Amino acid sequence: MKKIATLSISFILLSVLLFAYRMYNKPHTNVTESDAYEDLSAAQLFDMFDKNEDSAMTIFSDRVIQVTGTLLTKDFSNELEPQILLKTDNENGFIRCGFKPNELQILEQLKDSSNIKVKGICKGINGDDELTLLVDKDVILSSSIIIE
Amino acid sequence: MKKSTILFLTILSFYAFMNHGGGIYKTNTGNISFYSHTPVEDIRAVNHKVKTAFSSESGQLQFSCLIKDFEFKKALMQEHFNENYMESTTFPKATFNGNIKSIAAIDFSKDGTYSSEVIGKLTIKDVSKEVATTGTFVVSNGVVNAKATFNVNPYDYNVKIPKMVAPKISKSIKISVDSDYTHNH
Repeated sequence: MKKIATLSISFILLSVLLFAYRMYNKPHTNVTESDAYEDLSAAQLFDMFDKNEDSAMTIFSDRVIQVTGTLLTKDFSNELEPQILLKTDNENGFIRCGFKPNELQILEQLKDSSNIKVKGICKGINGDDELTLLVDKDVILSSSIIIE
Repeated sequence: MKKSTILFLTILSFYAFMNHGGGIYKTNTGNISFYSHTPVEDIRAVNHKVKTAFSSESGQLQFSCLIKDFEFKKALMQEHFNENYMESTTFPKATFNGNIKSIAAIDFSKDGTYSSEVIGKLTIKDVSKEVATTGTFVVSNGVVNAKATFNVNPYDYNVKIPKMVAPKISKSIKISVDSDYTHNH
């Protein structure tokens, strides 16, 4: 009887430890393997954040989404995270997509003004009305990949 | 004759302005990292999409970055940081609004290394506190690299850390800033 109890407690302890270990080492969201929560245009996405940031954060933040838009420019100035900008209907508003450095070759082939679809994790809108030097605003996607 | 003189002076002023490099220097790809060291655990995270700009005339310097865009090695740490401590859905941004004190001593038209005191207000979770540090500015081929470090106490910014995990999080978190600015014509 005592042996069974010891074995049961050991099994439970091991299970808890294994669960804790797996949680501690759980991987980051894999954008490639994740289904997109929403598929929308760059203009629609920016507009939602611009009109009501709190509401858009509740809907989109940390979600994998697909965004279609016109490539405005490529920004490879930070080699740790190459980035691209998608146009929106707002001249001071953009969708900024950050990529892992191993995506650089694919990004280099993109042509400005081409229509592209990007999948990434939405992080929110950067820029602040009170900061006069930073008047433009970017909705940020991270760990992005090019879909088409 | 008079018209041509005005035209000449206008062109001369334009070139003088361009060579002086006056105006706004900006980047949207700045780096901010933080490092918390305790005997129990070291925690690091980095953000590569920091929006920042400064005026080479007034010395005004501003930063804005998304809290959710800090990347941790461990996904669980990133999750706890955002959900439990920073409440980053409610308080999505950290901003800095300050001044480069010795801006006049920096010659943006000439390659060189300069240092200056930087003072301003750091706002995290809607709490603003004054921070001061010494920044290093390296001018090279028209690009200005700025680096600075300073320490913050998370408790000063209303970051609530449960007692159980408090030994794992330093009360003096080192913030490092590293950005390459280009002239925004």
